[in-house]
Amino acid sequence: MGEAVAVRRRVGGTAAISRAERGSVAANVAQWTETNAEFTDGAAERDWNDPELKWGVFGIPESEVGCLGDVAGLDVVELGCGTAFTSARLARRGARPVGVDPTPAQLATARRMQRQSGIEFPLVEAPGESVPLPAASFDLVLSDYGASLWADPYKWIPEAARLLRPGGRLVFLTNSQLAHLTLPEEDVTPGSMLQRALYGMWRTKWPAYPGIEYHLSHGEWIRVLRENGFAIDALHELRPGDDAVDHTYYYAHPVEWARRWPAEEIWEAHLR
Amino acid sequence: MSSPDVPESVAVNREVWTRSNEKWGDAHALAAWQQEEIGWGTWHVPESQVLVLPALEGLDVVELGCGVAYFSAWLARRGARPTGVDPTPAQLQSARRCQRETGIEFPLVDGYGERVPLPDAAFDLVLSEYGASIWAEPYRWIPEAARLLRPGGRLVFLCNSTLALLCSPDTGSVEDHLLRPQFGMHRFDWRSDNDGIAFGLSHGEWIRLLREHGFEILKLVEIQAPADAETHEFYDYVPAEWARRWPCEDVWAARLR
Repeated sequence: MGEAVAVRRRVGGTAAISRAERGSVAANVAQWTETNAEFTDGAAERDWNDPELKWGVFGIPESEVGCLGDVAGLDVVELGCGTAFTSARLARRGARPVGVDPTPAQLATARRMQRQSGIEFPLVEAPGESVPLPAASFDLVLSDYGASLWADPYKWIPEAARLLRPGGRLVFLTNSQLAHLTLPEEDVTPGSMLQRALYGMWRTKWPAYPGIEYHLSHGEWIRVLRENGFAIDALHELRPGDDAVDHTYYYAHPVEWARRWPAEEIWEAHLR
Repeated sequence: MSSPDVPESVAVNREVWTRSNEKWGDAHALAAWQQEEIGWGTWHVPESQVLVLPALEGLDVVELGCGVAYFSAWLARRGARPTGVDPTPAQLQSARRCQRETGIEFPLVDGYGERVPLPDAAFDLVLSEYGASIWAEPYRWIPEAARLLRPGGRLVFLCNSTLALLCSPDTGSVEDHLLRPQFGMHRFDWRSDNDGIAFGLSHGEWIRLLREHGFEILKLVEIQAPADAETHEFYDYVPAEWARRWPCEDVWAARLR
């Protein structure tokens, strides 16, 4: 069903909006409720049945990226888990995941898949900015197009630091800085033109969608991570493999673009 | 140089910097030496805003690609003990003249960033501002920086921003679109634009390389041209208007573990 969905949605965001415009959690719940009906609910069975850990819209295997390591026995919290297929894949590898997401519709899909697959773990309804889980109780905080894109980094990065035990790791994937700079406002394929300034990037809204995204420059990511006690381990700028194809639903940057410039990046850090 | 180990870029860049020194560097060296404030890059953004240097008093510093050595002079005035290293004799000559005229004296060494003729673990700070940081092969000069530093020592360097390199045509000023792929970026041959052979990496690759050689990443400062900045009269390949929207210079700060 997921592959046949005709509606396609861009992953990236655009115009900066004023600080006065609040309520990004409600806006993102609305957007992801819609997206779940259009795509993620239908794709959930395929995603849960696929045991391979993969990154981003091009499904780059973790075996190529190598940013998670052995997760067996780890307490993991996934911030912005959506239908929680990544947490399910971690559970299959012996991790003890907890999925956190603010969108009830996606968590309902995740619960249905838990019953169907027999892979059970806690699911918590909450935004990344304020997670109702105890301090220092996780070894790994993970976010794959979750809080990493849809939550305010000045709030969710401190939350990640609070949730982790000393030495615990934070790994998150989001749109690359270059993808954000080149994504046009109009619903057209991005090219090479820089569409907006790097300075002041933070909260952005795509005019055609209710959701609100957050983007930082690389220097600002490093600053906010270090300010919250993290050491920087890696920035993986992802390049899709030769057999990758354009995603059927998420099409912010086509695969041809993503072979020249990174469309997605993974930050890897650990709590000092 | 006769060693087969000397990169081609060293000779090419020496020639470029000999000419550049004749046209601009030598004539402006003393004024640069006499500047009171430590400032970074084309826009001379003050260190009081960039905040990447440690307390300088008593530090052993080596500047890789010092040119006419104005940065080392600023550090010496603040109580550091700098050594300037550069492969261009004409620039070192200008530096020696400034030393005589100002009375600020420190060692100047004819050498290139890929192989520095100085002992291991002898410095607290390795600095490069538009020096080895762009004109030397990073896979060779970053290990040299690690070798030269004492444990806990700091590496601070300013280079062309990754974004500016991606937006640079073979000749002429930086543009507002991506002109070359990021994947595989490394060596930039600007000889068709009467310039040298430069190097630049993606941010992810800088982080990987620095960590591989034992560095902890402290900061990446994406330098912004100030509101009142005007395009530089000599280093004019980045218009001030561009540099107010996007960084043309990246400053990395790292610490040897």
